[in-house]
Amino acid sequence: MSLRVLNPNAEVLNKSAALHMNINAAKGLQDVLKSNLGPKGTIKMLVGGAGDIKLTKDGNTLLKEMQIQNPTAIMIARTAVAQDDTSGDGTTSTVIFIGELMKQSERYIDEGMHPRVLVDGFEIAKRATLQFLEKFKTPIVVGDEPDKEILKMVARTTLRTKLYEALADQLTDIVVNAVLCIRKPEEAIDLFMVEIMHMRHKFDIDTRLVEGLVLDHGSRHPDMKRRAENCYILTSNVSLEYDKSEINAGFFYSNAEQREAMVAAERRQVDERVKKIIELKNKVCAGNDKNFVVINQKGIDPPSLDLLAREGIIALRRAKRRNMERLVLACGGEAINSVENLTPDCLGWAGLVYEHVLGEEKYTFVENVKNPHSCTILIKGPNDHTIAQIKDAVRDGLRAVKNTIEDESVVMGAGSFEVAARQYLINEVKKTVQGRAQLGVEAFADALLVVPKTLAENSGLDTQDVLIALKGAHDRGNIVGLNQHTGEPIDPQIEGIFDNYSVKRQIINSGPVIASQLLLVDEVIRAGRNMRKPT
Amino acid sequence: MRELVTVQVGEFANFVGSHFWNFQDELIGLAVDPFGDAVFQNQHLNMDVLYRSGETQQGVPTYTPRLVSVGFEGGLGSVSARGTLYNDDADTPSDIVTWRGNVATHHTEPRKKNLFLQSLSEEDQENLVNGKNSGREEIEDKDIVECLERDVTFWTDFSKVHYHPQSLYQFNGSWVDAREFDNYGIGKESFSWSLQGEEIDERLRFFVEECDHIQGFQFIVDDSGGFSAIAGDFLESIADEYSNTPVLLFRVQRPSSNMLRENKRQIVSRDLHDAVSFARLSSFCQLCVPVGLPSLSRSKATTHLCIDDQKPYHCSAVYAAALHSIGLPLRMEAHGPTTDSCYVSGAVHVNDMVQMLAGQGRQNMVTILDVAMPAPSLSGKHLGQSLLGSLQPLTPEVNDDAEDLLTLESMTVHGVFGSEGERASVSKLKDQISAAYEGETVRPMLCHLSAAQCPLPVPLPFPSIFGNLVGQHGQLLATPIPGASSRGSLDVHSIPMAARLRSSNAVLPFLERRLRNLLRHGTQGSSAAPLLRSWGFGREELEDMGESLSKMVLALNPHSLSSSDSD
Repeated sequence: MSLRVLNPNAEVLNKSAALHMNINAAKGLQDVLKSNLGPKGTIKMLVGGAGDIKLTKDGNTLLKEMQIQNPTAIMIARTAVAQDDTSGDGTTSTVIFIGELMKQSERYIDEGMHPRVLVDGFEIAKRATLQFLEKFKTPIVVGDEPDKEILKMVARTTLRTKLYEALADQLTDIVVNAVLCIRKPEEAIDLFMVEIMHMRHKFDIDTRLVEGLVLDHGSRHPDMKRRAENCYILTSNVSLEYDKSEINAGFFYSNAEQREAMVAAERRQVDERVKKIIELKNKVCAGNDKNFVVINQKGIDPPSLDLLAREGIIALRRAKRRNMERLVLACGGEAINSVENLTPDCLGWAGLVYEHVLGEEKYTFVENVKNPHSCTILIKGPNDHTIAQIKDAVRDGLRAVKNTIEDESVVMGAGSFEVAARQYLINEVKKTVQGRAQLGVEAFADALLVVPKTLAENSGLDTQDVLIALKGAHDRGNIVGLNQHTGEPIDPQIEGIFDNYSVKRQIINSGPVIASQLLLVDEVIRAGRNMRKPT
Repeated sequence: MRELVTVQVGEFANFVGSHFWNFQDELIGLAVDPFGDAVFQNQHLNMDVLYRSGETQQGVPTYTPRLVSVGFEGGLGSVSARGTLYNDDADTPSDIVTWRGNVATHHTEPRKKNLFLQSLSEEDQENLVNGKNSGREEIEDKDIVECLERDVTFWTDFSKVHYHPQSLYQFNGSWVDAREFDNYGIGKESFSWSLQGEEIDERLRFFVEECDHIQGFQFIVDDSGGFSAIAGDFLESIADEYSNTPVLLFRVQRPSSNMLRENKRQIVSRDLHDAVSFARLSSFCQLCVPVGLPSLSRSKATTHLCIDDQKPYHCSAVYAAALHSIGLPLRMEAHGPTTDSCYVSGAVHVNDMVQMLAGQGRQNMVTILDVAMPAPSLSGKHLGQSLLGSLQPLTPEVNDDAEDLLTLESMTVHGVFGSEGERASVSKLKDQISAAYEGETVRPMLCHLSAAQCPLPVPLPFPSIFGNLVGQHGQLLATPIPGASSRGSLDVHSIPMAARLRSSNAVLPFLERRLRNLLRHGTQGSSAAPLLRSWGFGREELEDMGESLSKMVLALNPHSLSSSDSD
């Protein structure tokens, strides 16, 4: 209460009003996001005040675009976005699960039940569900050669919720091959080694996987070749432009001649570096038809480009830092920081290097590489918002494949896990719980059904019919998910619908935590800033 | 030619930038205007230093600023972040090609274009249909000026420049209220450079890669809130990636709206913000220029101007004019060492400027910005002296009476009139000013003078801030013009300017206050310690900051050691 004394303007909501405010906020957010869920969901087109368009079916993207002001909603949104940051998916599911937990709780609280009891029940149910998930999941053997089919099924499941079927299926192969390309045994998968490049050009269906690298710049000299075969690749981080190496040198020229002499000396140093590179080129390319390409992270100024061009070398400057790593993984060799002691071992190899020009944009393709450990997904689309949406989907697909490999297991999808877990909680766990916490378990169990329920709703099916059919089929001993076209129960295993284990696990973990915090709130004090960070 | 890349971070920085680019756009237009003033046709300024040439996918040539601007999403008002140059007509936005299922469209209420932006888009339309006058009602300049004077909400409201689609980066605040985005901590919390910064880096790289020989970055940051943290991370990334390219940092701040409203907590938070953000920003640049007075309207720098402190449209115009003048030597066309052009003189590169001001003597890298707007003509008995005297600081917390024999200066004077009312020639300007310095009692150790004949053009979208003693060409009149008290772009077409960067111990109060606040609040056990922790600063980091600030103070005032704790 001291806060109110300190700040007489603070508005204090009592317990019941505060609780209902939280419940309503959670339900409100759920309402906005639930139409996103599943392959039958609704895509959202957001048109900004200046006519800018964003296209998304991703809960994460949508949340970030929303001007949320309600502090409870912000808290839920932060949790959901954090979910995406760690596991790459499940934002929408997290939000609708929290919303449903609050909705279920509301019924009991309106009947006079204390939120504490519900929260205790949540805790028990959560632990039981997580244990159940361990039993329910389908372990897969990853080993040296992971089962490509299962990876594809997981990727396809997530991609089909973001893109139409034909495009989703095309991207399925792309993302699976991309992850398998960069995967190294005994090492964590670094998805950054998959470059995602886009071109505003042609059609979505022209999106493809490039084994090698696509850079978003070209050479800056008119005489350099635009296409070369059998190329040695030198990946370097060496300044090939004349700059005063020390900006704080504090050197002053007393006259113009001195200045000229200084410039000439500096210039010579740069030329020396270029000559070292040319020497190496002559060593490896003498007497054969091989080509030489320099890809440099630092700048290359026109005089240096001239020298290189005269020797038939293709040179690119200001390459992305991350491409230095990718180039070496794709082409071999090593990234050099100095031109001293250059040897042929530093060089990588690419069968084909060529430039593609679109207006002022240039792209350089480094392809036909041997044994690449880095690759590029080249997204094409007619406009920016299409490209952005495909990009989001590709990221999700990559994460799904990575998660599968790291989890070494998957979970059957189409709502089958939620139905099975709900029946398990009601039929087995609830009995073992003493007293009124049972009701918390029940609320939790029913809340799980929000996933199949929403999937049915989005498909235009009758949710009650669907749930009865699913529960019935489950109680006959089958594992069943929802066929989104017919509303009939299906076997997700046969249909190839799989979700990520880690994503599911995190939703079940974080959802009840937030819901419990929101239920246990005693009073809400609106005092400006304090509301912004409720956690 | 050596390229400059401009970066603007934060709302007020974009306001300043908007005026800055309007000046450039005006210069470009005047240079090719056959009926224009000859002084604009022979500028001898190389615009390619600031601008890039490109072409659209349809092969249409473009000429756009080499700029990366960072702002809040929604901060562009009715202007699209992609600009209008690169939109191909084939683009049919209503087609959704990636989804066959349901579509829900959410429209944000379209922002209405103000009169000025309407007139711009009409102009574009007319160019498309070959100058055919559609018979529509012409929007009159007078109405545009009035409309802008009444209401400018976004910096794009008065911008006449075409930007490249890569230029305007919009940062999605993720549920942060723009009004609460007022300190370093919140900027740090809501923008994670490691996650979101990559796109900004990429956009900068796009512009740098094109440069054959970049001379430096000019970085304008709005230091009034959370954008400082984003700028700090951005500068760190620049220092890391382009280690040999100097950064010229202009730290701008709009006049503080209302000090009385602030309670003690807010004051502490503000003091800490100033200290922390200055320490961090200055550590990643080669020259730092704090710009922005607590009350611009009442300062000596605006004697001949009528400024409304509440209007960023007003204040940013003055700062932008000063930045423009300071930057002129960086793009003067260099001539042979012996033949000084009669139009420009004193060309330097960023690196030279940094060396001159911060690379010698005390190595002080925090400089004061002085401006004379408009600059008086070289007439009367004292000729140059009046010009020197009219230079007044735009840097806050400066000691006006400092007598510093070790001062280093870089001054630009352009478009100034001679005694007969003609534009003073560059050589005359130089002579007069050297003579004036000879007459001063306290002379700077070094003063680099750059001069140009071309004055500052006043574009149409410019606030009516000139007093009634300012004539059509910016000359100062002896008797006030009767009628309106303030004059704008319809009455005043150009302005002679003088601006100066000054490395002097007069900046000590500015530095000392930041050091003092950091030491007082940053120590463990102080009441502000939790606040600093929540901003993510560890003890070591704070100690490092304190050390670098005290180094700056010590360089200018070797005797300050004992006095710094006395407060």
